[in-house]
Amino acid sequence: MREGEKTMCEAKAKSDTADKLLRVEGLRKGEILDQVSFEMSQGELLAVMGPSGSGKSTLLYQVTGMDQPSGGRVWLGGTEVTGLTEDEKARLRMKRMGFVFQQMNMLANLNILDNILLPAVQANKGKGKKSADELTKTARDLMRKLSISGLEDRRITQVSGGQLQRACICRSMMNRPEILFADEPTGSLNKRAASEVMTELVRLNREGTSVLMVTHDGRIASCCDRILYLLDGRICGELVLGRAKEGTGRMREEKVNSWLMEMGW
Amino acid sequence: MIRKLIWNDMKQNRLSCAATIFFMAVSAMLLALAVLLCSGLLGAIDNLMDRSQVPDYMQMHTGSDIFAKPGGGRMGSAAEALSSFAEERKEVRQWQICRFLNLDNSRITLGSRSLADSTQDNGLCVQGEGFDYLLDTENRMPKVLPGEVYAPACYRSLYELAEGDIMAIGSHELVIAGFIRDAQMNSMMASSKRFLVSAEDYGRIKESGITQTDGLMTDSPSQGYLSEEYLIEFRLSEGTDINSFAAAYAASGLPANGPAVTKPLVRMMNALADGTMILVIFLVSAVVLLISMLCIRFLCLTQMERERREMGMLKALGVGRTGIRRIYFVKYLLFSGWGAFAGYSAAFLLKAPLEKQIRELYGAAPGGIKAVITAFLAVILVEGILLLSVRGSLKKTERLSALEALFQSGERKKSMGQYIVIGLVAAACTFLALVPRNLYSTMSAPEFVTYMGIGDGELRMDVRQTDNIDLATEQIAAALRLDAEVERFAVLRTGSVRAVLPDGETISLTVETGDHSIFPVSYSEGSLPEKRGEIALSAMNADELGLDVGSTVRLMIDGKPEEYTVCGIYSDITNGGRTAKAFETGSSAPAMWSILYVSLNGSEGKGQWMSHYRQMGADVTDIADYVRDTYGQTLGQLRLAFLAVLAIAVLVISVVVMLFMRLIVEKERYTVSLHKALGFTCMDMKRLYFFRGLIPVIMGLIAGILVGILCGERVCGLVLSAFGAESFRFVISWDWVLAFIPAVLLGPAACAVLMGIEGIRRIGAFECCRGNGQT
Repeated sequence: MREGEKTMCEAKAKSDTADKLLRVEGLRKGEILDQVSFEMSQGELLAVMGPSGSGKSTLLYQVTGMDQPSGGRVWLGGTEVTGLTEDEKARLRMKRMGFVFQQMNMLANLNILDNILLPAVQANKGKGKKSADELTKTARDLMRKLSISGLEDRRITQVSGGQLQRACICRSMMNRPEILFADEPTGSLNKRAASEVMTELVRLNREGTSVLMVTHDGRIASCCDRILYLLDGRICGELVLGRAKEGTGRMREEKVNSWLMEMGW
Repeated sequence: MIRKLIWNDMKQNRLSCAATIFFMAVSAMLLALAVLLCSGLLGAIDNLMDRSQVPDYMQMHTGSDIFAKPGGGRMGSAAEALSSFAEERKEVRQWQICRFLNLDNSRITLGSRSLADSTQDNGLCVQGEGFDYLLDTENRMPKVLPGEVYAPACYRSLYELAEGDIMAIGSHELVIAGFIRDAQMNSMMASSKRFLVSAEDYGRIKESGITQTDGLMTDSPSQGYLSEEYLIEFRLSEGTDINSFAAAYAASGLPANGPAVTKPLVRMMNALADGTMILVIFLVSAVVLLISMLCIRFLCLTQMERERREMGMLKALGVGRTGIRRIYFVKYLLFSGWGAFAGYSAAFLLKAPLEKQIRELYGAAPGGIKAVITAFLAVILVEGILLLSVRGSLKKTERLSALEALFQSGERKKSMGQYIVIGLVAAACTFLALVPRNLYSTMSAPEFVTYMGIGDGELRMDVRQTDNIDLATEQIAAALRLDAEVERFAVLRTGSVRAVLPDGETISLTVETGDHSIFPVSYSEGSLPEKRGEIALSAMNADELGLDVGSTVRLMIDGKPEEYTVCGIYSDITNGGRTAKAFETGSSAPAMWSILYVSLNGSEGKGQWMSHYRQMGADVTDIADYVRDTYGQTLGQLRLAFLAVLAIAVLVISVVVMLFMRLIVEKERYTVSLHKALGFTCMDMKRLYFFRGLIPVIMGLIAGILVGILCGERVCGLVLSAFGAESFRFVISWDWVLAFIPAVLLGPAACAVLMGIEGIRRIGAFECCRGNGQT
């Protein structure tokens, strides 16, 4: 390929990826993921479903740069995640990504407020960054928004699972990420707490944050704009639901359930 | 099945297993080494003393040849008196008079090196007639031919001598045919060294007059008389109380103007010079054993914490409490066996180089099997203590229910305990390195001699080898008074005084009179005698006579009793450690000897000044040289021990810090992973754990320095009291204590922290997502 052609191709690829918030191309990880490719638009709420062992969580680790894939490429905006060093990936996660885990993963020796502040304090080290007071104010605002005000000084063992997961969402939102990744965010919650957490995630998405969620739960997935079905490390189905509107919940849920049955769920 | 479990465990926890074996091996090695060296040294000394038939009591005497019969016969009047004394006393098995021809050090060269700087009294002698033999390096009596000389074994490495080298005494040359082990004077702490020559050479050199004769150094054969030293030696029957024999001799009025030495004192001097290193190794082995106990216990507890779930599973499957404990205990038993074997073998490997000097001076210790068994028992003792501590830790498994173990494994304890261990080990290592260093700087400090009964002067002049000591002393004192180079001086006369103890017993006391405030010694209790009626006693005298400060003792001055109050007690190793000091007694009895302490205005021309006064009949010694010669051997060993201890401390602190930081990182894997998932870089996490690891090390170093300074003195007191220094203050070399030792320990510790936290790099950010949640 001549130099001019190469530059043009790179420019086209860059322009393509710039349109999409997240682009995954031929991603492989050992025998778990096999040539996984998909895209995600700005402001989209995307769910990845599949049976246990299908590679959902592994896909999330590769996309977020927490693990090194065997092959393939991942772009977040114009940045190729797979081409970054470990430290660059960590900084990317800190500034542009947010995480909500199934098991909450909070530090037992910090209270709820300090756990929420943890990544923000690290990201705002240095001159010209937000002060501790400003960060605390942001954290309290987020807590109020997610209806967990008053739990600031509680230990993580002194709050319910739903409250803890909402605190995790607060933590993930502290650095105003472009995209929020959620790994089975309602997996360890009861039905009521799960629907509260999902309501908050949908609200954040409506306010402009893109969300990529891995879930087992058809009811939760039915709140998303689009669902990808992963089986044996390959994407073998896609369901486009579009934006959820008031009063369409049951219909969307049935649609998801029948699609899942088609997929062999 | 147990074998399989242990094998798999070792494969999974290689580092922790290796560390456990390391601690077990090092502890075993150090104690076994100390035992081997100790039994080797004592065995070798006893063997040499037996073979050379050391006298039980030896009295030195100097002056004109009082033993020679007028006309050249052997038995003079003094010798006859001695003979009748020996015959009267049934406990005397054998007695003899050995002659020692004191040479002028400046006239001696050994190989290519002059002995001018030596503060030892070097002299010639012939083989003892009935006992006190000088043995060769095979511990046999050498046959010395005319023209040959056997040099002291301790000079072999000191002056780099070899057989065939020439010893020159003035114009006389003798070929060094071999080296002798002198059971009495082997130690550099003994102030004389004997060269063995043939009777012909002895007579020839004596006649030629190249000797120290009342201070007049001359090469002229026409010198009127020669001064020899006489060693009046007694072999006593077993069970004899040597102290009462010594008292009887002192009371008999027989020749006794020099120090007296007993067999136990000779044995102690021999043991001490080489024993310091062994004492230090004993001290180190005790501290390392404590460190090992602490570390192994923590490794065990950490592993149990990690394997809580497996333990719960075993319990749930019905394996009993003792069953689980046995699985763990068998593993530690196996480790202990390997550690013991490695430690025991290493002790034997290290023994050879460390024992080199002992072998050279005293020969090989006989009956090696006894030492081997004792060392083996020491290893068993160490491993037993460690296994008992492990057993105590394993008891925790008994208190854990199956459900607790299965479902509470997520709630891991934080790593505070490990940080405390790091701090404690850093403190112990600093203490370990600090104490021998402070001991070294204390013993090498000029003021250390004041703990030994020697005044804090620059030069010491002994007036002994003359018939009229008082006159010679007065002449020298008069010269010193007029000497512009002299800053200050003190004259101390020593005489024998009869003393009546509170219980009525009468003894003979060696009392040094004069102004003791000019060059004072260190007093462990009370203060120096400042007026007539006050007396200070050496610690050994006070102890044996049962006298304390404030007790009274009656001295018989010219036949009249006079009350004296004990005003102070001081440490002393001179003259067998039994001395007393008074300001004035007013006794008209002639002095046995006198000592003059002198400080000069400047050090220029000191050598010339010293030789000038030597010609006036005084044996002038530079106290700094005296310390170098007397304690040089001990200080050399102490320095070696300090370096060895420092190396051990660096090794231990590095291993412990690296190990525990790895354990901490392993234990906090979820926390690290979560931080990474949240966007913390590897460097952020390493920085965090680096400071977390370094802070306890620094705190430990500070604690170790404080404890080393405050308590080290007491620990060293145990060592130094054996040298006769009863109460002493550490002479601390602050540059070592505050800069060098902390830097030497902190550097490797910081590297160990870095190595320990290297594992952070390998912790995946995704791991926390798979885990049990709360970390």
